[in-house]
Amino acid sequence: MSSFPEPVIGVTRLSKVYRSGLRMKRVQALNDVTLEVERGEIFGFLGPNGAGKTTLIKVLMGLSEPTSGTALVLGRPPRDARVKARLGFLPESPYFYDHLTAREFLELAARLSGVPKSEAVGRVTGLLRLLRTERAADVQMRGFSRGMLQRTGIAQALVADPELVVLDEPMGGLDPIGRKEFRDIIVDLRDRGKTVFFSTHILSDVEMICDRVGIVIAGRMVEVGRLSEILTGDVESVEITVRGVTGKTQKILERVSQHSIKSGDELLLTVKNEEDVEKVMAICREVGGIRVVGIAPHRRTLEDYFMEHVAKAGRPS
Amino acid sequence: MMGRVSAVALNTFRESIRDKVLVTLIIFAVFVMGSARVIQPLALGEEAKIIKDVGLSAITLFSVLIAVLIGGRIVYREVEKRTIYIILARPVRRWEFILGKYLGLMAVLVVSLVVMTAAFIAILFILGVAPQLYLLLAVLATFFELVVLTAVAVLFSTFSTPITGAVFTFAVYFVGHLSRDLKLLAAMSPSPIVKAMSYVFYYVLPNLGNFNIRPEVVYGAPLDPYALLLSGLYALVYAATLLLISATIFNRREF
Repeated sequence: MSSFPEPVIGVTRLSKVYRSGLRMKRVQALNDVTLEVERGEIFGFLGPNGAGKTTLIKVLMGLSEPTSGTALVLGRPPRDARVKARLGFLPESPYFYDHLTAREFLELAARLSGVPKSEAVGRVTGLLRLLRTERAADVQMRGFSRGMLQRTGIAQALVADPELVVLDEPMGGLDPIGRKEFRDIIVDLRDRGKTVFFSTHILSDVEMICDRVGIVIAGRMVEVGRLSEILTGDVESVEITVRGVTGKTQKILERVSQHSIKSGDELLLTVKNEEDVEKVMAICREVGGIRVVGIAPHRRTLEDYFMEHVAKAGRPS
Repeated sequence: MMGRVSAVALNTFRESIRDKVLVTLIIFAVFVMGSARVIQPLALGEEAKIIKDVGLSAITLFSVLIAVLIGGRIVYREVEKRTIYIILARPVRRWEFILGKYLGLMAVLVVSLVVMTAAFIAILFILGVAPQLYLLLAVLATFFELVVLTAVAVLFSTFSTPITGAVFTFAVYFVGHLSRDLKLLAAMSPSPIVKAMSYVFYYVLPNLGNFNIRPEVVYGAPLDPYALLLSGLYALVYAATLLLISATIFNRREF
């Protein structure tokens, strides 16, 4: 399996235009998106609501056709049945059949994915246990909470033991415990050699488990890469807390810093880099009677990065 | 292939059979059949025939209602609730999905027909009317009619909302029963537009009058068994054509 030469997902210059409403207004959901997902990685597909994440996932699942460009999944067009037999998909806020029980539904999912009957029952029972939904296994799903639906949705995506798992906002509707359990499941899938592609707008999930991320904003892919490459690890700013500063010294210190906050006896200074930290320290030593009580470097987070790009995209060009 | 079609069909059957709409309609049908007793004083000695006629008409009417009300939303609901994503992301071809939905609904209709017919025979016994086996031929003809009508409902369901779908299916049902009149209208109308329209409707819409053999069965008029067999074949061919069109439309749809 590891000798598979081409990427698991290959998207080349893909655009999607919708016509919506009575006046057939043109909506460009995806604009010239190029992306590759390699075997065995956890790929986080990031973007604010309405950025085009679900649109791309629908194209990859063969539910929607691109206006231009190409999409290949496991080396073949998405609508090829041979592709579909090897992938698992969880749609956004999944909703299932009201009058079916979770077990009936998962058995249906297994059958449609071509799991042999003899294996299906064991597979379903195992998944119900893994996702701790055994208690509700024989209850009709119309009474399920969002969290229970989400768990059942994850189970149906995994029922055929697929090579590639595509999950649209998988953390939606899960509580913190559920999110932790689910992150463990994703990491375990990767450890077993599977590829996981998931979309989210919850950044902490991505930071914790993704090997690589792609960031899509307003239909454009603004960045694809390893998290460590995107967040270079550079110190963005340093916060220094000092005590015993008098009015005159405060003014001098504020000139060196980007901004400052005075709170009681303490003064919180934010400086740009290590050089400026040295300057502040020098001033404090010179004046005397000032104590430095804390120095905290502030590294760039994915959130900062994300906000920057959203702000850029929102600005009229 | 058949495994996937039957999986979709079984799922459709389970979903529909547990639906309140179905149970309500069947209860209503039984109630209407029993109410034939009320008109007995007006029947002037024809009560047995009236009870049979009302019973068979109720079976037809309510099974048509089931086909239209459940069939009219059968595909739409999967799209609206997005359950379709989970089905079509699997190695299921779109025509397999349409065929499975249709067969599942037909299975529901067969069960409904059996239940209503059993209730009808029980009512005949209770009212002291001897049930004859050939009454079942009228039920068989209704089944053939449902083969066509369910395909009409599924077709509308692939591209329109449940209400529009139900309205159109009902329209097809009524015009389909006026088929012979349409031909007459086409022959007699002086206006070329009315003539053309009537011919188009006559040839495109199903001739559902073929499936109504209640008068023959209830009032003992002669019944041609070959005509019944032919209507069965007609129903199969008509339904297959509609399902092919449904699958073609559905195959082009984007979600």
